[in-house]
Amino acid sequence: MEPSVRDQLRARYAALVGQIEHGDVADADLGAAYGELGKLLMAASYFDAAEACYLNAGRLAPADMRWPYYLGHLYKAKGPLAKSVVAFEKAHHLRPNDVAILVWLGDAYLTQGRSGAAEPLFNQALGLEPNSAAAHFGAGRVALAKKDYPGAVTHLEKALALDPRATATHYQLGMAYRARGDFPRAEAQLARKGTIEPRPIDPLMRALDELLESAEAYNVRGGRELEAGNWASATDDFRKGLALKPSDPSLRHRLGTALYQMGDAAGAIEQFREVIRTSPEFAKAQFSLGVVMEAAGRHEEAIESFSNAVKHDTGYIQARLQLARVLVRTGRPLKGLAEYQQVLARDPAMKEAVFGRAMALVRLQRYRDARDRLGDALKSYPGDPAFSHALARLLAAAPDAQVRDGAQAKALIDELLKTERSFDVGATEAMALAELGEYEQAAAVQRDVIAAAEHAGLRNVVRHLTDNLKLYERRRPCRTPFTDDELP
Amino acid sequence: MNTRRIGRGTVEGHGWPSLHPPNELLGVSRSLARGVPMLLVLGLLVGCYSDSSSRATGATSSTAARRANGAASEWFVDRAIESDLKFTYFNGMSGGLYYPEMLPGGVALLDYDNDGDLDVFFVQGQMLGEGKTLDDATIRPASLPLKGRLFRNDLVVNADGTRTLHFTDVTEQSGIDTHEYGMGVAAADFNNDGCVDLYVTNLGRNQLFRNNCDGTFTDVSRQSGTDIAGWSVSAAFVDYDRDGWLDLYVGNYVVWDIRSDQKCTGLTGRRDYCTPAVYSPQRDRLFHNNGNGTFTDVTATALPGGPFGPTLGVATADFDNDGWIDLYVANDGRDNVLWMNQRNGTFKNMGLLSGVAVGADGKPKGSMGVDAGDFDNDGAEDLITTQLPSEGINLYRNVGSGLFEDESAASGLGPMTLGYTGFGTAWFDFDNDGWLDLLVANGAIEAIKERGEERFPYGEPKLLFRNLRNGRFENVTPKAGSLFQLLEVSRGAAFGDIDNDGDVDVVISNIHAPARLLINSVGNRNHWVGLRLVGASARSRPTREAGAGSVTGRDMVGARVEVIRKNAPTLWRRSRSDGSYGSANDPRVLVGLGDATDPPMARVHWPDGDVEEWPAVAIDRWTVLRQGKRMAR
Repeated sequence: MEPSVRDQLRARYAALVGQIEHGDVADADLGAAYGELGKLLMAASYFDAAEACYLNAGRLAPADMRWPYYLGHLYKAKGPLAKSVVAFEKAHHLRPNDVAILVWLGDAYLTQGRSGAAEPLFNQALGLEPNSAAAHFGAGRVALAKKDYPGAVTHLEKALALDPRATATHYQLGMAYRARGDFPRAEAQLARKGTIEPRPIDPLMRALDELLESAEAYNVRGGRELEAGNWASATDDFRKGLALKPSDPSLRHRLGTALYQMGDAAGAIEQFREVIRTSPEFAKAQFSLGVVMEAAGRHEEAIESFSNAVKHDTGYIQARLQLARVLVRTGRPLKGLAEYQQVLARDPAMKEAVFGRAMALVRLQRYRDARDRLGDALKSYPGDPAFSHALARLLAAAPDAQVRDGAQAKALIDELLKTERSFDVGATEAMALAELGEYEQAAAVQRDVIAAAEHAGLRNVVRHLTDNLKLYERRRPCRTPFTDDELP
Repeated sequence: MNTRRIGRGTVEGHGWPSLHPPNELLGVSRSLARGVPMLLVLGLLVGCYSDSSSRATGATSSTAARRANGAASEWFVDRAIESDLKFTYFNGMSGGLYYPEMLPGGVALLDYDNDGDLDVFFVQGQMLGEGKTLDDATIRPASLPLKGRLFRNDLVVNADGTRTLHFTDVTEQSGIDTHEYGMGVAAADFNNDGCVDLYVTNLGRNQLFRNNCDGTFTDVSRQSGTDIAGWSVSAAFVDYDRDGWLDLYVGNYVVWDIRSDQKCTGLTGRRDYCTPAVYSPQRDRLFHNNGNGTFTDVTATALPGGPFGPTLGVATADFDNDGWIDLYVANDGRDNVLWMNQRNGTFKNMGLLSGVAVGADGKPKGSMGVDAGDFDNDGAEDLITTQLPSEGINLYRNVGSGLFEDESAASGLGPMTLGYTGFGTAWFDFDNDGWLDLLVANGAIEAIKERGEERFPYGEPKLLFRNLRNGRFENVTPKAGSLFQLLEVSRGAAFGDIDNDGDVDVVISNIHAPARLLINSVGNRNHWVGLRLVGASARSRPTREAGAGSVTGRDMVGARVEVIRKNAPTLWRRSRSDGSYGSANDPRVLVGLGDATDPPMARVHWPDGDVEEWPAVAIDRWTVLRQGKRMAR
């Protein structure tokens, strides 16, 4: 146990003992002392001990809503649910118009499958607080359980509008659309689902949540802020955690991450380096340092960091993938290829590695191998635009005549054009047309693409496209499937 | 296990009592007077322990074990010791809190010697940690050597119909030589020779043991191409392409080795086991059976693009009733995956839209055990997943066409399992009333603080639920037997009729506690039909079958049978050995009939699409239904 937690527990316990020994303390005050100790024990996950404290508190101070309320949450966390319901009901009885109690009690009823009992609670909550996303979320789930799908959609869409960051709502909404037979909308919602639920404004639980002073407690709180995109708050929590446990590599690594998100790359590097100094085996810090270095164009340092990450954790696939990518990009495609091969030995279906390996082969001018790998990949990922586009480029413009197949390139690109009309795809279509000897058409397509790129202000793209246009105007095909910039 | 420590279920091995000496605390408690129930106060002060009625934590292992020795009224009685089925899983812990220690191990029920009764195979662990020896072990192994053990069932059916169970450890003569840290096991006849083979999943390289049909096995791991390295837990043999050969799905967990082991702490700063979120998932593998003793890894082409998560459970069934077997994969802390068979050698993940990827709240769960079965007798395969204490278990009801509704709350199963950490499980009709019930083998993955003084404070009781035939379940654990109250770290559970008496028994593997052989003493009070669904194979050899004479061929796992009853709804059941947690079940089909005495019709839907009918199947005995031997429908 961390000393800070031990001190907290000792202090709370001493406060309770002091109350007991004092003799003439009012029941409500003694109850509060038990309750406060219960809160701390609950925050530290000593659930059984906390339960006893809350029970004592509730008997000594029966009019105090807090103790059955916390007890309800405690049973919600550790079971049994029936006791959670009883406790929340008691809290509700003591404070009938508290929206947080209404929402949590309704939630517990829903978990019990009692949507009929939950419904009036959420309705009451909405009456008290019409813009409560949590209450709309609950009402939407009630409607879903009662197969009132239009009602569910209405409430859940309202909940999302009120609290767009509560990504868990997308799932419920997706299920509501599914039940209505609207599968496209269902899939669209499901694709956006997350784990953050809308919560009621709940100062009591917030107080409990912020009670425990331990490194890991701050790590958890900071992590939550990080997930919500609150970088400054996350940084604050991580720093507090580090003040209690400076050697914690996870805390410091996450502090570095939060700093980087805030734009403080130097601060992030400092934190990552400190983790590496004190915990060299903490491969995530090596990885993160590599990412920061790579973003700053410090390729050699990035390579070193990624290499260290995979040295300490040989199964760290993301780090090996990044290492391969940087090696290829910095003119060491053979070494990069070897790293890609290692990734694929562990995970033969990993898309990024399959693509990266093919592009490394292009860098090595092993066009046949690249074509074969991309062809294999398309069998695994039929219609995947990245693979079909890259293959079309190779088939249209590879310097190796045995690789080129203009007709197949055109077929691939025609398929791709049904869903994607980018400059790149347009340029590839022109390459394929040129390979088929249709130079006028190739030039016409290329001019259209150039005009669009000029309109978009993409000067670099225009320059390259113009070079190819000149080829087509001279009735010559393209033999550069990818520019250096285009290769990953 | 799906989240970082978030303030619930974290660990304190030396919790509150260590803050103050107990006598000092008791001195304080004596001074208390006003309004505070003394028992509660004492509970608080000598360990902050409240009333324990909410959980069956009151019985100690020893007292419960004494009680477990067979009250006649108990539905399940542990017969492991008296039948010499003695095995204890050793997890190799030495204080380092290495992640794999918490997740093993599985158990298989298989008739390896084709004598008509189920034998038992347990996977076994090893010491974990560089340079660690048994001298470093926190808890010494119950027996050596540390190898997976095969026990032969020497069942004797006495003249009066009673059974005498006895098991003999035949590991050495069987040739099964496991040499990794065992996690789970799958059992089926991959080479169609009529003898069931074993696939052992490991932390390390997996092993495939081919049954030589003479009581011995040969390790064909390498030549078969299935000896992948890493960390696998559950695997399933499944004929996904209907070519008559069993393919193999291997569920992999996370990328872990001793050098990448992370140190995790609970909220109060005490070390604890990590969660899967700390590690990268290791991709699952699908191996196509080439029919010549080898397999080809078709993961990339058959399961294009994933997704893959940290897999702990695998169940196979035809979830959309199109005649092609689908795959359901239970992931720990990430969305579960429903691989729908596209009938062309590939699968498509339909988990989210089908409604089986996450819980009703939209969040991925720490799914561990899994099983598919038709609990509501509507002809569609439903799903169950066992999970973390804060999640309860999930019941997904198949409403047809592969779409599911989450009935965890409505069934009562979700609320009733809050507070338990579920692993091995199965749909099985323990009372033969024609409705599938549920057993869950539990065991925590985070130390239970109030038992912090114990060397391995992770024990939880087991649970038994009876199907109330209306979509709801009743917790009947108190009637199930005192063994259910034992606080054990249970993991794998395998289900089958071990004494061939017409009801389903259960073998449970525990970490650092004896395995349990739960003999069912109530099921055969009702009537039943027992079916072994067997495919014809030119290669297979004659075998003996309980009450059925000599048979050949392999169990057709994946075959479905309609049991058509007079004046009662049709029951759909399936031959399967997969499901549960890292374990292999009896592939035979045991169907409870309640008090009905009319022989039912059996209509079998074979995995290759053939359908055959048997007009009247004898009740209260085991019968072999062989493909191609009855009228095609």
